[in-house]
Amino acid sequence: MGLERADDAGVYKVTDEIAIIQTVDFFTPIVDDPYWFGQIAAANALSDVYAMGGIPKTAMNLVAFPAKDMDISVLRRIIEGGLDKMREAGVVLVGGHTVEDTELKYGLSVTGFIHPDRVLTKRNLKAGDLLILTKPLGTGIVATAIKGALASQEVTDKVTRAMATLNKGAAEVMQDYPVHACTDITGFGFLGHLAEMVSGSGCGIRIKADSVPVYPEALEYAAMGLVPAGAYRNREFREKMVDFAPSVERNIQDVLFDPQTSGGLLISVDGTRAEDLLRALKEKGIHAATIVGEVISEPKDKILVQ
Amino acid sequence: MTSELDCRGLACPAPVLQTKQALDKENPLSIKVIVDNEAAKQNVTRFLENQKFEVSVEKRGTDFHVHGKKTGTSEGPDQPLVKESKSHRKKIMVMVGTDCMGHGDDELGSKLLFNFLKTLKEMGPELWRLVFVNNGVKLAIEGAEALPILKELEGEGVKILVCGTCLNHFNLLEKKKVGETTNMLDIVTSMQLADSVINI
Repeated sequence: MGLERADDAGVYKVTDEIAIIQTVDFFTPIVDDPYWFGQIAAANALSDVYAMGGIPKTAMNLVAFPAKDMDISVLRRIIEGGLDKMREAGVVLVGGHTVEDTELKYGLSVTGFIHPDRVLTKRNLKAGDLLILTKPLGTGIVATAIKGALASQEVTDKVTRAMATLNKGAAEVMQDYPVHACTDITGFGFLGHLAEMVSGSGCGIRIKADSVPVYPEALEYAAMGLVPAGAYRNREFREKMVDFAPSVERNIQDVLFDPQTSGGLLISVDGTRAEDLLRALKEKGIHAATIVGEVISEPKDKILVQ
Repeated sequence: MTSELDCRGLACPAPVLQTKQALDKENPLSIKVIVDNEAAKQNVTRFLENQKFEVSVEKRGTDFHVHGKKTGTSEGPDQPLVKESKSHRKKIMVMVGTDCMGHGDDELGSKLLFNFLKTLKEMGPELWRLVFVNNGVKLAIEGAEALPILKELEGEGVKILVCGTCLNHFNLLEKKKVGETTNMLDIVTSMQLADSVINI
C-alpha cells in the first residue's frame, strides 16, 4: 500500500489495481431554491473525483441546519436534490451527519475508485497541449447579482442548471484521449487554477481571452460592481503570474478570476488530439466545451492572456 | 445635494446595493460612500463609474471614502426613469384556485405552479393583487414551498389576499403565513377594479 498526496482529492492505493479517491466539500446556499441548492452542492462535491479521472462510488451527507429558524421541509428538499444527483452519478449514499448551526450548509464527503496508474493531477502539463474548458465562467458574479436581487430570472436559471450539471460526462469522454493534466474550476477561479497547474511545471500557458466561454450577463454585472470579494483575493494572490494584453478588458479579467461553484473541467490534452476530444465532448452534449488556450514552453510559470 | 452612506462592516454586494438605492431614491449630484474593505471599494467605484460618476477614493485609516460626482452637467435630471403616474399603470390580478397547474400529473402540476409563482415577478409593477382560494390557500401556509416567493412579492408591494372561508374549511387559519385574510366581497371588488384578471 502506498500513500500519495494529490491535489483535487486524496488518493490512497489499496492494491496495484485499485486506489480510492476521497474528497469533501460543503458550503452555504448559492441559489434560493433548496432542491437546486442540494443538486449543486452534490455536483460540486462529486466534481473533484471526476477531475482526477475517478469514478465516485459512495457518499455521505454533511448538513448544518438552523432548526430554530427554518422549516424542516427546506432540509428535506435539499437532501432530495443531493440524492437525485447521487443517483445520476451512480453513487450510493451510505450515511451522513447533521449538526445545528446558525447558518445552513450542505455538501458531501465522496469516495471513488481509480486505477493507481491512471490518476490525473494538475501537475503534468506538456508544451504543445491544448486546454479545453467544459463550462462557462461567471457563476460567482451571477450569484452576487442574485444575492442583490439584480439578476434576471433567465440567467439565474441558466447558471443554476450549469452548476447542477455533473462533470461526469466530460470525465468519461476524456478517458479515451491522451490527457496529461486536469482540474475542476472552483474557488480560485479560472486563472487561479491555471496558476496552480503552471507553477513549477516548466511550461507557460497562453489563453485567448475571447475564446473563453463566459456568461455575457456576468460581464455586465461585473461592470456594475457586483464582483465577489473572492475574485479580488484571487487576483491579488496570482496577479504576478498573469500578463494581460491591453486589449483584455477589466470586466473579462474579473470573470477570469471569479470564484466558481461547481465549475467545469479544465483539460490539458495532447495538441494533436484536442479537436477530436472537443468533438467527442460536444457529441456527449457538453456544448459549452471550448479550446481556450495552449501550453507553451516559454515563458515558464507564466500565464499570458491575449 | 450630496448623499452620504456609511457601508462599513458590510460585505459585497451590500455596499453596491445601498449605493444603488441611494441613487435611485435621491438622484444626487454627488455622493460619498464609506467602506472598510478593498472589494467594496473597488465595487462601489465601478458601480459609480458605470452610472457616469467621476470617482475619487481617499484612504482614511482603515476606511476608504469613495467620492462620486455626476459628470456631464446636463441641465436637469436625465429622464430614463420616466415614471408613469400610478393611476395609468395597468392592474393585473392573479387568482389562484389550486395548488397544481394544469391537469394530468399532480406532481408536475405543483412544480409548474411553484415555477409560475416564482416567475410572476417578471410582470413587474403591473402585478397588483394575488388572490388565493380553495386549494390555492395551501400555498400561503407554514411550510409551503412557495412561501418565500409570496413573501418577496408582498415585500415588493403586491397585495396578497387569502380566502378566509377556504382557510377555515381546511382548518388552516392559524397556519397562514403571508397576506391578508379576505372575503368574497373583497375578491369581487378586486375583480372589478383590476384591468385584467388571470385565473389559474
